[in-house]
Amino acid sequence: MSFIEFVFAAVAIGSALGVVGFRNPLTGAFSLILHLLSVAGLYALLGAHFLAVAQVVVYAGAIMVLVLFVLMLLNLKRESGRKMGLLRGMVTVGIAGMLFVSVAGPMLSHFDNLSSVGLSEAAKASEGGVKAIGQALYGRYIVQFELSSLVLLIGVVGAVMLAKRKTVKLEPRQGGMGGE
Amino acid sequence: MEPVVSYLGVSALLFTIGGVGLCLRRNAIVLFMCVEMMLNAVNLAFVTFSKIHGNLDGQIAVFFVMVIAAAESAIGLAIILSVFRSVSSIETTDAAELKW
Amino acid sequence: MVELLILLIKVVIVMNLALVLGSTCTWLERKGSALIQDRVGANRAGAFVESDRWYLKPVLPIVRLMGWLGVINTLLCDSLKGLTKEDFIPEGSSKFLHAMAPVVAVLPIMLAFAVLPLAPDFYAWGYYVHPRVAPIDAGILFVLAMGSVAVYGIAIAGWTGNNKFSVLGSLRAVAQMISYELPMGLVFVALIVIYGSLDVYTMVEKQQELLWGVVPAWGIVYQPVGFVILLLAGMAETKRGPFDLPEAESELTAGYFTEYSGMKFLLFWLGEFAEIALLALLLALLFFGGWDIPWVTLPKGVWWAALVGHAVLMAKVIFFCLLQIVIRWTLPRFRYDQLMNLGWKMLLPVALLNLVVTAIVKVLV
Repeated sequence: MSFIEFVFAAVAIGSALGVVGFRNPLTGAFSLILHLLSVAGLYALLGAHFLAVAQVVVYAGAIMVLVLFVLMLLNLKRESGRKMGLLRGMVTVGIAGMLFVSVAGPMLSHFDNLSSVGLSEAAKASEGGVKAIGQALYGRYIVQFELSSLVLLIGVVGAVMLAKRKTVKLEPRQGGMGGE
Repeated sequence: MEPVVSYLGVSALLFTIGGVGLCLRRNAIVLFMCVEMMLNAVNLAFVTFSKIHGNLDGQIAVFFVMVIAAAESAIGLAIILSVFRSVSSIETTDAAELKW
Repeated sequence: MVELLILLIKVVIVMNLALVLGSTCTWLERKGSALIQDRVGANRAGAFVESDRWYLKPVLPIVRLMGWLGVINTLLCDSLKGLTKEDFIPEGSSKFLHAMAPVVAVLPIMLAFAVLPLAPDFYAWGYYVHPRVAPIDAGILFVLAMGSVAVYGIAIAGWTGNNKFSVLGSLRAVAQMISYELPMGLVFVALIVIYGSLDVYTMVEKQQELLWGVVPAWGIVYQPVGFVILLLAGMAETKRGPFDLPEAESELTAGYFTEYSGMKFLLFWLGEFAEIALLALLLALLFFGGWDIPWVTLPKGVWWAALVGHAVLMAKVIFFCLLQIVIRWTLPRFRYDQLMNLGWKMLLPVALLNLVVTAIVKVLV
């Protein structure tokens, strides 16, 4: 891995640990923003240029603003909980290790059959330029594209309906308060 | 090891961190952020595989995952707000019992 | 090796340009607002300086002229004042976040200058120079992305103020900024539809021709409505002009600026003026032909043509900076609900309609 790939990957992993580790959820949210930006950098290094910019605009620019809004409006205290003792920490690391092996194992064992020869000429075709992605989205994946617009509409309507405050109707008082 | 393979290692590591965070934390918004992190890890794996195989299908899949994540975040945060209004707390342990 | 050197020179020039334009806008704002409000403005500092040293005597008339124009007051005195003021951090808030907030607000704006071309291509001593720091594929989307990230500086600034007014003021500002990103994005999409590319350099190149032989094929001829929408949405996004309620709140109650003093406040201020310059550069490049002089064609690839083009572009940029300054000092500011109404109920439908009409016309013609 070249130096800049290493830097982006290290920042991504570090800020991911920050999201899980920080007690204050707002600091965790800022850590997640840093994570999203570094993953966008990794996408750009892998040749997915449109996705890198879309990640910044959608995830880091819109979703995290929503999360920050909710956090700032709710004005939370720190999370109360038991401290991470040694036994609990070891069990956590053990389970994390098992999860990592079960996720990474099938992915990485796939590579005994692949040679790296096909990588260089196949790589050009996967350059995620905007024109190529547009042709794929509007060509082969047009149905999914239209359905995704429906999903977004459902998201908008659902969020408004769920977050609306129910207004309370006041009954008119029976009889006057005097003075009549 | 090919250099592209280490991206898969990073992706698996991020997924693991997100999964462990999902098990450990009790704040609903931190849980939501861990889910987003797992989705990002999966997206990274998709883009890596797209580069390995040399076609754009992986990147299209990432596009749709982002769309779903955006819609899910809106609704998820609206749900968290509604629960906060009735329970006055967003720790998951405080909303663990049914209303009596 | 030479490419690295050229890249370094380009980075230095673009950073210089962003900062110099920002500072010039500060001075233009002070003197321009004074002239609009029928007063003189700053003209004291450095206007009466005398010296007996022989090597200073030729320089002093120029210094006195600049002092009289208010340049020394704005650029030198304000900077020194900012540097030497006490820098306090509100109690109970994180020092790191308090210091990072101006950086997060200003850095994306400086980065957005990297994808905008400043002059036509030219050859210099055998090397092909493309006057843009980062020729990335999704050129104009990067500007939008940087506008999205700049929102966090405001959010962090309000949060670390550690009082309710600061938080609510910054949330209002954030809501305003993200609301006005939508019409901006739709105008960019309409421009992409017309010019067929996301690359800003290609867009400017296509504006060099003449439509029907008479009218220069500038963006404003194709998209007059888009120009108005981008001007309004850009001014609201940068919290300028009649949309500056987040800053007016700091005069009325408290806003996200409150807990900042000294150099951090000046950094916010510089970021705001750099945003003015960014919007002016975008308008000049996308709608007014960039470096095009209307009915004159200069030879391509020659270094002096590039210099002339750059000078023309800078003239247009300064015109748009002045336009924004004049609009700000002429119109009263909007109330917050009027502002949100304008963004969601007027600009967004108009931008959508503009996009639909553009697409229909592009398909039929």
